[in-house]
Amino acid sequence: MAPVPSTSSQSLYDPRRHVRVDAERARDVSSTDFPGYWPNEDHSWNLAKFQEGLQVKVTRLSKRSIEFDLVGVDASIANAFRRILIAEVPSICIEHVYVWNNTSVMVDEVFAHRLGLVPLNVDPSLMSSREDDNDQPTDRNTLVFHLQVTCERNKNAPKTATDPAEVYINSEVLSSHLKWVPQGEQEIVFADNPPAPTNPNIVLMKLRPGQEVDMEMHAVKSVGKDHAKFCPVATASYRLLPLIVLNPKKPVPPHLAEKFRKCFSPGVIEVDPITKAVSINEEQMRKETMSREVLRHPEFEGCVELKRVRDYFLFHIESEGAYTPERLLPESIKVMREKIATIRKAAEALRSDSGGSGDVEMRDS
Amino acid sequence: MADAAAKKIEILPGQEADLSAATYRIYGESHTIGNALRWMIMKNPKVEFCGYSVPHPSENHIHLRIQMYDNLSSLDALLAALDNLDDLCKTIDDAYTLSLRRDKYEVWEEKS
Amino acid sequence: MNQQSGPSINAGGSGMGFGAPPPKQDTEYLCADCGAKNEIKSREPIRCRECGHRIMYKKRTKRMVQFEAR
Repeated sequence: MAPVPSTSSQSLYDPRRHVRVDAERARDVSSTDFPGYWPNEDHSWNLAKFQEGLQVKVTRLSKRSIEFDLVGVDASIANAFRRILIAEVPSICIEHVYVWNNTSVMVDEVFAHRLGLVPLNVDPSLMSSREDDNDQPTDRNTLVFHLQVTCERNKNAPKTATDPAEVYINSEVLSSHLKWVPQGEQEIVFADNPPAPTNPNIVLMKLRPGQEVDMEMHAVKSVGKDHAKFCPVATASYRLLPLIVLNPKKPVPPHLAEKFRKCFSPGVIEVDPITKAVSINEEQMRKETMSREVLRHPEFEGCVELKRVRDYFLFHIESEGAYTPERLLPESIKVMREKIATIRKAAEALRSDSGGSGDVEMRDS
Repeated sequence: MADAAAKKIEILPGQEADLSAATYRIYGESHTIGNALRWMIMKNPKVEFCGYSVPHPSENHIHLRIQMYDNLSSLDALLAALDNLDDLCKTIDDAYTLSLRRDKYEVWEEKS
Repeated sequence: MNQQSGPSINAGGSGMGFGAPPPKQDTEYLCADCGAKNEIKSREPIRCRECGHRIMYKKRTKRMVQFEAR
């Protein structure tokens, strides 16, 4: 098999980059690019080398999700971004509910919880976080919503109607019933995009004639590790690029070529219609599910190796809420750099403390 | 929690006087920074050992152990790694922005 | 978790509030069957004036109640 040119400086077929996938286990999982691991090789941090080896390529984009390849970084870095996307990129959600009236069948606690889960379209950069739980609400850190819905009989409904939407008015409380009440300078700040739920059609609860809800809600800025409702993504995940390596010394027998093809995801393996020679479609290889079906058949033993590329991350991020999908990774990088700056500042302080007195500040007790 | 707000990092007892080996407690951080920082510190050839742990899931801090060769300061290694990690983040950010602007990728309509 | 506000923040506003004073006014109840308003007087059978149903509901408080959306 001819080595396939990779845009990265290294070849995809460099065995050092491979995680081997066997029938019952995965091998060579840990990265080895550390100083001292390989004799007479320099693996110390080198920014120029990293820039050369790094490859970021957006592959698919929609209004809801983005897919991109992140090549040439360690799992610890890719995982840091994934974790930050889920737990530490801020967003805005309803946090306090003030109930004046609720004569529906849903109890206040449950309804308040449901209101908290509604994604809002508010750009978090326009708001600041509250310092703590007792922080005074201001027009900078709190949005106010009102919800006032009363269900009644629809007098104009046809006599034969049975659909609650026809027979009653306001038989459902929808997310579109949430009305934003501007406070202070919010009218100007949010003029371009007035705060509202991203989806107006979420059914929050159902009502019947005589039932009413009347409440006020305060939305605040926070992060996913505080509560899952603040998580700005539906999913943020990565997987490693699948790699299928055919053994040139043991080709797949022509009469088994079709069976071999069926062991993989559709389109991954191509069979020449005349010679029945088996080849791999490089474009489609990333679609392989790594089911390991081919390893179950003894007749294919030694024909093929299943691998993954350890530093080739295929990211898939689904946005839910205010951020457009392409903004999410930059936001997570921003959070990461803020964390680094905070730790750096504290470490600097630690050094000046220890340098000044010749003694190191130690933990009390 | 009040302690965490007051201090971000402290050195746990038992460090070498010249800080050539020390365990740092970093408040308010988790695997996210712990593992990334561990990796970057291990890229330093002067580092003999580096490891991190989350001692308890309900305590909001991590421990980061650094041991140096040649009696060098582990604090310097930590600061250097933080700088390098920041460079790395910036590089990825720039590469991503460039790809978003320049590359040809499939733009598709997703029903929600 | 939830907390009732003090009487100073009585949100009913109209002064015809329930739960809170004035105590002398008779409490209104709602019939469980037809929803008609009823007053229950001592020594009288508990019975709806409209339909004769014997189950009554007390009205919900008009005080504001606070919840965390968690």
